[in-house]
Amino acid sequence: MQSPTFTWAGVVDGARKGILIAPTMIAFGIGVGLLAASKGLTVAEIALMSAWVYAGGAQMATLQVWTEPLPLLALVLTVLAMNARYILLSASLRPPFGTLPFWQIYPGLAIFGDGNWMLTMREISEQRRPDAGFLLGSGLVMILPWIGSTVVGHLFGQVIGDPRRFGIDFLLAAFFAVMAVGFFRAARNIAPLIVAIAVAILVQKLVAGPWYLFAGALAGSLAGALHVRKA
Amino acid sequence: MSVRPEVFQAIVLLGLASLACRLSGFFLMRYVSITPRVDAWLRSIPIALIGAILGPVAVNGGPPEWLGLIAAVGLMYVTANDFVSTLGACATVALARAALG
Repeated sequence: MQSPTFTWAGVVDGARKGILIAPTMIAFGIGVGLLAASKGLTVAEIALMSAWVYAGGAQMATLQVWTEPLPLLALVLTVLAMNARYILLSASLRPPFGTLPFWQIYPGLAIFGDGNWMLTMREISEQRRPDAGFLLGSGLVMILPWIGSTVVGHLFGQVIGDPRRFGIDFLLAAFFAVMAVGFFRAARNIAPLIVAIAVAILVQKLVAGPWYLFAGALAGSLAGALHVRKA
Repeated sequence: MSVRPEVFQAIVLLGLASLACRLSGFFLMRYVSITPRVDAWLRSIPIALIGAILGPVAVNGGPPEWLGLIAAVGLMYVTANDFVSTLGACATVALARAALG
């Protein structure tokens, strides 16, 4: 693997390619904003939450269990269950970016999400020089529309109506299916995919809370570790 | 435009939990040497995450979602264009939902 770098050209390139994911974030954000309004959060509160917690699935899940007085422990556990997968995604960035000074990689780490992490991993798998600027740039074009769209959803959600009508709720799944094509070609090993699908489906049925994402990703990737590619 | 103290406190805690997940994996791997087996594990994470997200979508969805997944993969094979394939798959789902009720 080539030695990593951080360039502003990478930030711009990441922002350009990351724009693909922005419509997903906006559609999802409107839904989260609408839910926040129905739970009695103020506009300032949902804006703060979107900027600081910044996790679509986790915010959706915590708002569903949001009652007053606030069940702090249940809320924190929900965030941990939903975001535990980020521990894995973050770990996978160590081999390409491990030698960078912390200020070049940690800002990008602080705001990454599934979509732009996936784009970054694909850039690296296509033999490009790992550029932490790409991670940061693609993250920035996700977090800004995210904050804005949750505010818009809070204020105007009821006027916009059900995003399901336009198939917008399917954007993230569609994006992941599209990404699967490239990774499937590169991986030459279907065990991680099959194990992840099976474990995620089982855990979703058997375990309360959104642990299935982490369980599926962990089990699937460990299955991949059984198969060490010969150099 | 106000933030209640108890809500502020909850959001701070939730954000710390979120940030810990994002930063800890990268940080902790500093202390793990990247053997071929560890490397194989890390390289398998993208395809495993794809499976963990799409498996439940396929099981919980119906014909519109199944058609959408097929359209996404098919369009990507034909066009090799992320944007066209992603939007084409969503359009497929929207049309299928309208057609199938």
